Amino acid sequence: MKIDREQLTSQVDRMKKNGYDYLVKITAVDYSDHVEAIYMLRNLDAGKDESLEVELKNDDLWVPSVMRSYRGADWYERELSEMFGIEIRGRTAERLLLEKWDGANPPLRKDFVWGVQYKAKEE
Amino acid sequence: MAITRINIGPVHPSTHGVLRLVVDLDGDMIERVETHIGFLHRGVEKLVETRMYMQSPAYMEKLDYVAPLSYDEAYVAVVEKALGIEVKERAQYARVILLELQRIASHLLWLGTMCNDLGQMFTVFMWSFKDRDMVLKLLEEASGNRMFYVNVRLGGLQRELPPDFEAQTLEVMDYMEKRTAEYERYIERNPVFMERMKGVGVLSSKDAKDLGVTGPVLRASGVEYDVRKNNPYYVYENLHFSMKSQEKGDNFSRYRVRIMEIKESIRLIREAFGRMPASGDMAGMPIRLRSPEPVNKVSKLSRELPRGECLMYMVADPQKPYRLSIRSPSFINLAALSHIAKGQRLADLFAILGSLDLVMGCVDR
Repeated sequence: MKIDREQLTSQVDRMKKNGYDYLVKITAVDYSDHVEAIYMLRNLDAGKDESLEVELKNDDLWVPSVMRSYRGADWYERELSEMFGIEIRGRTAERLLLEKWDGANPPLRKDFVWGVQYKAKEE
Repeated sequence: MAITRINIGPVHPSTHGVLRLVVDLDGDMIERVETHIGFLHRGVEKLVETRMYMQSPAYMEKLDYVAPLSYDEAYVAVVEKALGIEVKERAQYARVILLELQRIASHLLWLGTMCNDLGQMFTVFMWSFKDRDMVLKLLEEASGNRMFYVNVRLGGLQRELPPDFEAQTLEVMDYMEKRTAEYERYIERNPVFMERMKGVGVLSSKDAKDLGVTGPVLRASGVEYDVRKNNPYYVYENLHFSMKSQEKGDNFSRYRVRIMEIKESIRLIREAFGRMPASGDMAGMPIRLRSPEPVNKVSKLSRELPRGECLMYMVADPQKPYRLSIRSPSFINLAALSHIAKGQRLADLFAILGSLDLVMGCVDR
């Protein structure tokens, strides 16, 4: 199901109330001209899966946090911001999930520059 | 009381890989656990984007070096889905048999290391390693390799199972059934084991769902979800698979779920041999430089790995994956550690960590 970013949190809330109480995964795909963030939810009792796809413009990469609905979103959101450079709004800023690097040039984007040496970030 | 902060790892015998934990303690009680991961990060998701479809199974196996075949199979299955390739029926049975053997091997290794984490019990580790090796020998017979198999091919397997494979496997399964009963008898009478497992590291079913944990950890908390049952693949639907779960959500429940899963796997393997069609072949496509063109742009599938549900999400390009996203079960189970460990004693931290059955290669990818 494709939805707008503005509707994401309300849609997730509504789905959680309707039995989709399990977050399977949050991931993203970089289609070069835009980035798509994908939220996979599951209704455990009915055994139904549903995906919410949010299209993001390359120069406007942010999504609201869904931590309020699913605590399990924590590490997925941090992974998203680190690997795709997508800013997660509405949650406390945490250190990067993987270890020490500056977080620039997100590796899973298609314009990733290979072979750049990263400076380790001081703690 | 003042908070004491201690550092554990990155290299520590009980972290099962390279994992760093920063633990805040109030006396002996854990206030907060900060988990630092990424020491084994190899960028596999990016790496597969640069390789042809059938060049990647070997990378997948290195993610979870305790159950490599399961990851291999999950990856090949998602490629099959994208390319629109059907798996031969005999090969489906053979895959189920090999996957269940892999599950037994993985759970046995877990059992040994878990008892090690609790201290004093190298005995169980030696036993379960010996038994695991018998299973590894079977997998070696089938694939030619002892640890990394890479014998799943598009549409089937690399080659037919050896002629005496069935007899050998059933013999080992008879032995394994006796041994599992022995494990239960010895371990569950051990006061050290029971004290440190019962009532320790409780995860309620509500929290389990909310945190998104998966596999035996989820089922031990009373949430009944197993991909083999709820979203069956291959021939699991034909086999009389029964899901194993527990109610309490403590370390002991997680142990019980895994022990029962070993028994269930033994039963499944026997049944699968009984139902496997005698004729037909199971050979898959040999690895060629060029693979068929993809028919599905986006493919998604779930597999029940020994550690929990693995979800593969693949956007296909001709010859190469455009993007492969892996939902690794250890990753999300480790994310729940800080919640489970809060309010427990420091000494129990490793009992809890052990009961989650993590493989750091799988966490970091």
